[in-house]
Amino acid sequence: MKMLLSIAWRNIWRHPGRSGVLIGSIVAGLWAGIMVSSWGNGLIDQRMNNVINEELTHAQIHHPEFLTEREPRMFIEPFDEITSFLESDSRVKSFSPRTLLDGMVQSSATTSGARIIGIDKNRERETTIFHQNLVQGEYLSDDVRHPVFIGEKLQNKLNVEIGERIVLTFQNLENEITSGAFIVSGIFRTGQTIYDEQTVYVKNEDLGELIADQPVYHEIAMMLHDSELSDQIVSDLNREFNNISAETWLELSPEMRYMTQFSGTYMVYIMIVILFALAFGILNTMTMAIFERTKELGMLMAIGMNKVRIFVMIMLESVMLTLTGAAFGMFVGYLTVNYFNKNGLDLTAVGGDSFEIWGYGALVYPYVTPQEYFYVTLLVIATAMLAAVYPALKALKLVPGEVVRD
Amino acid sequence: MPIITTHNLSKVYNPDTVPVHALRDVNLEFEEGEFTTVRGPSGSGKTTLLNMIGGLDIPTEGHVEIAGTRITGMKESKLIEFRLNNIGFVFQAYNLIPVFTAYENVTFIMLLQKRSKQEMKERAHELLSAMGLKDKLDSRPKELSGGEQQRVAVARALASRPKFILADEPTANLDTDSAMNLLDMMEKMNREENVTFIFSTHDQRVIDRARRVITMVDGAIDKDERKSPPS
Repeated sequence: MKMLLSIAWRNIWRHPGRSGVLIGSIVAGLWAGIMVSSWGNGLIDQRMNNVINEELTHAQIHHPEFLTEREPRMFIEPFDEITSFLESDSRVKSFSPRTLLDGMVQSSATTSGARIIGIDKNRERETTIFHQNLVQGEYLSDDVRHPVFIGEKLQNKLNVEIGERIVLTFQNLENEITSGAFIVSGIFRTGQTIYDEQTVYVKNEDLGELIADQPVYHEIAMMLHDSELSDQIVSDLNREFNNISAETWLELSPEMRYMTQFSGTYMVYIMIVILFALAFGILNTMTMAIFERTKELGMLMAIGMNKVRIFVMIMLESVMLTLTGAAFGMFVGYLTVNYFNKNGLDLTAVGGDSFEIWGYGALVYPYVTPQEYFYVTLLVIATAMLAAVYPALKALKLVPGEVVRD
Repeated sequence: MPIITTHNLSKVYNPDTVPVHALRDVNLEFEEGEFTTVRGPSGSGKTTLLNMIGGLDIPTEGHVEIAGTRITGMKESKLIEFRLNNIGFVFQAYNLIPVFTAYENVTFIMLLQKRSKQEMKERAHELLSAMGLKDKLDSRPKELSGGEQQRVAVARALASRPKFILADEPTANLDTDSAMNLLDMMEKMNREENVTFIFSTHDQRVIDRARRVITMVDGAIDKDERKSPPS
C-alpha cells in the first residue's frame, strides 16, 4: 500500500500545472460551498436565537384552542395555579404572561392592522430581550398613562412621534368592539419588516381594563435554564393542567422546526451540487492521465503489477488529488468562517439589508459544525472515487502485449 | 529439460477481417543460460513471438510452456503473478517509471514480490553497481541517457530473479557505445549468473554477440543457428 501511495502521489505531480488547476478549482469550490453553507447556518442560527430570545421563548402555554381561533375569551385558566407551578419549578428561569389581541391601530394619518401584545414590562424584560430593540423613547414608560411601544415601520406608516396618541381597536371578551387611546412611548426595530409594521406592545393591565375589567392572559411564555428541558416541562404541564396546551418552541414554530431539520442537511446539498460539477473536472484529468500513460500501465501489467493494484493506484491518485484540494479548500474555508464567526459577516453593502423583510439580519455570524466538515470529507472521497471509476476501468482493459508493442 | 518450449505456436491478427499471420506453427526450445537472438525483418513476427513467450499475448493456436508450466490459457491474474516471478522484460523504449528514481525502479518489482527491505536494498545496489550506475541511484529516468535508462531497465528485469529475460529490440534506440556497453553488461550477467536472455533484434551488433540466432521470415522459423561458445 505504501508503494501504491507513493507512486500515486508522485503521479499526481507529473503535470503540476494540470493538477494545480484542478486542485485550485476544488479549493475554490469547497471554499465557496463552505462559505455559503456557513452563512446559511449563521442565518438559521440567528433567526432561531432571535425568535426564541425575542418573543417565542422555549415553551408557551395557551388555552387549547387559542392558537387556531385567537378568540379573546380563550384565556388561560387557572392562571394563578399555573404561575405558582412555574414559580416553584427549578427548570424555569423566568416566564411572562401575555395578553394577545388582533385589532386595528389608528393615528390621525391612517389606520392599520395590528397584533396587540399586552405584557408585564418587568416579567417580559426578565424573559425576553425584546426591550433591546428599543431605538427611540422608552420601553412602556411608567410616566405615561397607557403607553404603547410600536415598531419603526408602523411609526412611519402612522406618521406619529413619541408622545403622540394612537387608538387601538379590538374585541373584548363579549366580542364587542372596544377602543382605547394609547401614547407612543417608545419605538422598536427588530429587523423584521412585517413584525415591525404590525406589532404593538402595551401593558397588560391597560388591556385588561378594556377587555374584561381585569387582566386576562392568553399566553405564558417561559425561558428555561436549558432549552433541552422544554419537552419535559411541557409534558409535565400538560399532565398537571387539563385546560391548557403547553408546547415547545419547535412545536409552536413550524418554521423553526423546518429550519432545525434543514440546517443539518443544508451543507450536504450544497456540497453535492458543487462536487457534482467538480467530478467532471476530476474525471477529465484522470482520463487524460490514463490515456497519456497507456504504455506505462501496459508495462506495469507486463512486469507483474496485477489489475487490482493498478485499479487501486488510479483510485488513490484521484482521491489524493481531490483530497489535497479539499484539505486546502476546507482549511481556507475554516479560516474564513472562523474570522467571520468572530467578527460577523455584514452583507449590508451588497443588499443584505433586504433580508430584513424575511426576518433575517444583514450581519450574520457564520459557522460550520465538525460533523459537517466530516460529511464534506466523505462526500469528497466518494466524488473522487466515482470520478475515477471510468478511467480506472479503461486502464484495466489495456492488453499489455498490444500496449507494449504499440 | 528446456526452460521454454513453444508448441505449434500460431497467431493470426484480425482473423475475421483481413487476417495477418504473425506466427506460423513455431516450435522452439530454449535451454537455461542461452544468449539467443531472434532476428528478422520488420513484421517477421519477432515481437509477437516474444510476447507469446512472455504471456503478454494469446496465441491463436499452440501453446507455451515455461519450466514445465503451461502458461497459455492460464487465468489472467495467475499469469501476471507468473510473469512477476519468472520473466524479466526489457523494452525498446526502456519503459521505466518516470516518477521513480533508478533505485526505486529496480526495487519496485521486488516490492511487488514482497521481498524484504534488506534484500531489496542489497539486490538493487548490487545490480545497479554491476550496470555501472552506482552514482545514478537517485536519478530519475529523465536525468539519465538512453543507454543508462536501458541499463536500469535490465537491472529491473534482473531484480526479480526471473528464469529468463525477454528483450525486445533493446538496442534500437541506443548509439553504438551505449549498445555495446549494454550488451557487455548483459553478457556478463549471462556468463556470471547464468541468466537466460532472448532478444528480438535486427541490430547486427546484437546478432554478432548472440550464441544462438533464430531467423524469422513471415512468422515462421527460417533458420535456427547455434554458434560454438567462445573459447
